[in-house]
Amino acid sequence: MTDQSSDLVQGTLDMLILKTLALEPMHGYGVAARIEQMSGGIFRVNAGSLFVAFERLLRAGTIKGEWKTTENSRRAKYYSLTERGRKRLESETREWTKQVAAIARILEAS
Amino acid sequence: MSVLRNIADGLRFLFRKEQVSRELDEELNGFLEMAVDEKVKQGMSRKDALRAVRLERGSLDVAKEIVWSARWESFVGNLLWDTRHALRRLRMAPAFTSATVLTLALGIGATTSIFTLVHAVMLKSLPVANPSELYRLGRESRCCYTGGYSQEKEFSLVSYELYKYFRDNTKGLSELAAFPAPEQLFGVRRTGKSEAAQSYPGEFVSGNYFSMFGIRAYAGRALTDTDDQPNAPPVAVMSYRLWQERYASDRSVIGSVFNLNDKPFTVVGIAPPGFFGDSLRNTPPDFFLPLNSEPYVQSDADLNKVDTHWLELIGRIQPGANPSSIEAEMRVELKQWLRSHWSDMSANDRARFPEQTLYLTRGGAGISTMREQYEHWLLILMMVSGFVLLIVCANVANLMLVRGMERRRQISLSMALGAQTFRILRQPLTESLLLSSFGGAAGLAIAFACTRLILRFTFPTLAGFASVPISASPSMPVMVFAFVVSLLTGVAFGVGPAWMATRVDPIEALHGSGRSTAREGSLPRKTLVVFQAALSLVLLSAAGLLTAALQKLENNDLGFAQDRRIVVNSDPRLGGYRSDQLPTLYRRIHDSIASIPGVSSVALCQYSPVGYGWGAGVWVDGHPAPGPNDDNSAAWDRVSAGYLDVIGTPIVRGRGISEEDTASSRKVAVINEAFSRKFFQNEDPIGKHFGTEADNSRRYEVVGITKGARYLTLDRPDGAFFLLAEAQADYSQTNLGSLFLHDIVILTRPGASLSDAQVRQAMASVDPSLPIISIRTLKEKVATQLTQQQLIARLTSLFGILSLVLASIGLYGITAYNVGRRTGEIGVRMALGAGRGQVVRLVLRGAFLLIAFGLILGIPLSLAANRVLSSQLYGLNPYDALPIAIAVAVLGLFGFIATLVPAQRASSVSPAEALRSE
Repeated sequence: MTDQSSDLVQGTLDMLILKTLALEPMHGYGVAARIEQMSGGIFRVNAGSLFVAFERLLRAGTIKGEWKTTENSRRAKYYSLTERGRKRLESETREWTKQVAAIARILEAS
Repeated sequence: MSVLRNIADGLRFLFRKEQVSRELDEELNGFLEMAVDEKVKQGMSRKDALRAVRLERGSLDVAKEIVWSARWESFVGNLLWDTRHALRRLRMAPAFTSATVLTLALGIGATTSIFTLVHAVMLKSLPVANPSELYRLGRESRCCYTGGYSQEKEFSLVSYELYKYFRDNTKGLSELAAFPAPEQLFGVRRTGKSEAAQSYPGEFVSGNYFSMFGIRAYAGRALTDTDDQPNAPPVAVMSYRLWQERYASDRSVIGSVFNLNDKPFTVVGIAPPGFFGDSLRNTPPDFFLPLNSEPYVQSDADLNKVDTHWLELIGRIQPGANPSSIEAEMRVELKQWLRSHWSDMSANDRARFPEQTLYLTRGGAGISTMREQYEHWLLILMMVSGFVLLIVCANVANLMLVRGMERRRQISLSMALGAQTFRILRQPLTESLLLSSFGGAAGLAIAFACTRLILRFTFPTLAGFASVPISASPSMPVMVFAFVVSLLTGVAFGVGPAWMATRVDPIEALHGSGRSTAREGSLPRKTLVVFQAALSLVLLSAAGLLTAALQKLENNDLGFAQDRRIVVNSDPRLGGYRSDQLPTLYRRIHDSIASIPGVSSVALCQYSPVGYGWGAGVWVDGHPAPGPNDDNSAAWDRVSAGYLDVIGTPIVRGRGISEEDTASSRKVAVINEAFSRKFFQNEDPIGKHFGTEADNSRRYEVVGITKGARYLTLDRPDGAFFLLAEAQADYSQTNLGSLFLHDIVILTRPGASLSDAQVRQAMASVDPSLPIISIRTLKEKVATQLTQQQLIARLTSLFGILSLVLASIGLYGITAYNVGRRTGEIGVRMALGAGRGQVVRLVLRGAFLLIAFGLILGIPLSLAANRVLSSQLYGLNPYDALPIAIAVAVLGLFGFIATLVPAQRASSVSPAEALRSE
């Protein structure tokens, strides 16, 4: 029962969720699977962390949830990005890119 | 926006918890199912898939817990849950709950109300601007007049002339105000209204009085220096209380004219609400008049007498000034002033000139006569309530400890199952907090009621007068103090045992389950019971001592009769009478009241018992003049004919003051036995002469001797005392205060009843503008002298009984608990052949050992406490063993009863059952 999400840089889970949801509205498992798939299996998201993050994003008003039926005719809560979420994703992505570039420069300098 | 949403979501969670929880469950389940489906699709069996998902994604329950505890409202939710749980647990233990809450309430309430009183009387500053800048003249208050140019120990009262000298010359003071030491009543009537004169307390004050205190008028204006000039138009400031209660806040009062002692004054302003003058008094003044109007109102004015000292001084120092340098400055001024009167000084005054000095003390609390008067009582009550608070804390600690012990197994079990320490401690913590809150709330109510009760008993008010300016609302700092003390006790002793239980290795604790820890943890509880027993012994014996002293006071032969006697208190000065009008007035009052049906006889006097008397020096004819260190003082009273019969004091020899003593006959005096003993050791006093001045020792002839009585105080018989005839007074002396008789004593016929209205009507038929201050039976008047003692004795008894009950509960608790723990042991003993009697003895022995320890500790403590008590109060015998013996017996009896119940229960256990209970 290793918590793989601890491998995520603190605070990046929210961004990844937002990014995932920017593509299309998705339920919890979908988000987890998508993050796993897109990271090439490096990030595995724990259910607890995932739903806490959903809760946090819901309350911040960056995503909203809606009960829908899945393709396997199961009921699931689909999350989608709000306007506020879209803006936040943009600004966070910008910030993140800047930071990564900076860190990379430092690491390459040696 | 998001904060609002956060709160809204949180509230939704709190109020629709089940729905939210169901949604989360569904979502998480869905998550699990989808993950499992995925694995199954990849070819796993369903069982393996479930296992794999759990491993990869974590357990659903844990996930749910994580999501839950991440919400802020989960904290509130837990709190609510804890509270509900604690309430349920408390409901399930009604005896424990009510005992604790009651204990706390009584402790907090009693302590708070006593300390509220102490705070108001001893510590509170006057409600004026910057009271810390105020300084007063004198270390002790000295009422009310002293004459001459020397004062013993310190110059604390001054004449008007000396006041002006200080006021005009002391540079360190920004203001210095003066007002008379004696309290004064005025007969008041609003002009143009047909109302009967009413008496109200009033005070002459210097013109800068209000500006010195930094007080502005509530309406109209305050007095100023221009009002306080000879021949200034007479003006007055009325108290807010009187304005509101008597005149319904009528604005037209300002500017209207009131007759005070039949002299017109214009009311120019209303003092602010809450301002009660310069001292805390039973009856705060309702009128403030300029000092210079004193000669206008009083026929016997003191204002312009250079060597009559009757004024108190309070001044405000310049910001940053040093009070001790002001004191030094004023000492020099005093000497300068005295020197300027060297030619008026007597030889004695001149001899004492070098030692004349004065002291400045803090004046922020005003003139503290009341403080000195009540200090002893409050000190005793404070000690008593402090003891009670200690006992209360001990009891709460005890109750909490028992409860903690009961919880130990449960805690061990929870710990073994992996509960967090904090989560476990939250439960006893919540319980303690809840109990303390209930106790505090109930205590607040008790404090309110108790303070009101004490105020009513301690400071009885006369109808129409302002009551003592002490609010019954509990002083908050004290309340908070008592509450915090009990809260800390509750929390410490509630959480402490639980915390200790969490430190014990669960396996060991569960393993031992009650047997291994039989004796552990009982030492603190035993100590508490010993401590309680000792303290309640102290309180009980103090209560016994006080009650005994009170009974002695109540049963003393007072030397006068109380039944069928009514005392009417009035004062001719309030009706504006001059001394030459008095003989006629007295005759008319006497005749008017004597003609009421049911009245047997009437007499007037300056002071009826019990209370005041005037003092005088006595020079006996034919004896050598007393030296400067000889005590030749005696108290005296001026009475009308037949007074001794009306008041019922027996005459031992000779006769009383009678109708035959007239203005033209020889001047007579009636003395008491103590007078006879003091001044005529080996002689027959009848027919001897004495005087009250050195050069007139043949002034009065002794015509009778009365039995000793207690006219002045109930505590002890009067010393030398003599009575003079009213009819023989020198009414040509215009300013002799003793000419004004205050009390009319009425003796009614057996079986007859006399209503207040009849008396008022009779008085009104003499003069409607002469106010009656009070009408009460002599019994009531005497009883008011006892109210303080009664209150102290009753409160101490109440506290004593309270502590006894608490100690008994404590003893019962520890015995019952120990018996419960030792059931197994008792079973074994009985199985081995111990009889029931032996078991009872076993239990009693344990309990009485504690009581014995309590007594060993308590008896010396009681003796010490009683010593302190009797140093504060007259008439107590600290070595009286009876109260302590009774207290010991009572404590023993209650202890016996408290332990007998659990002992009986222990002995009625059947051995087989007891052994099974393990």
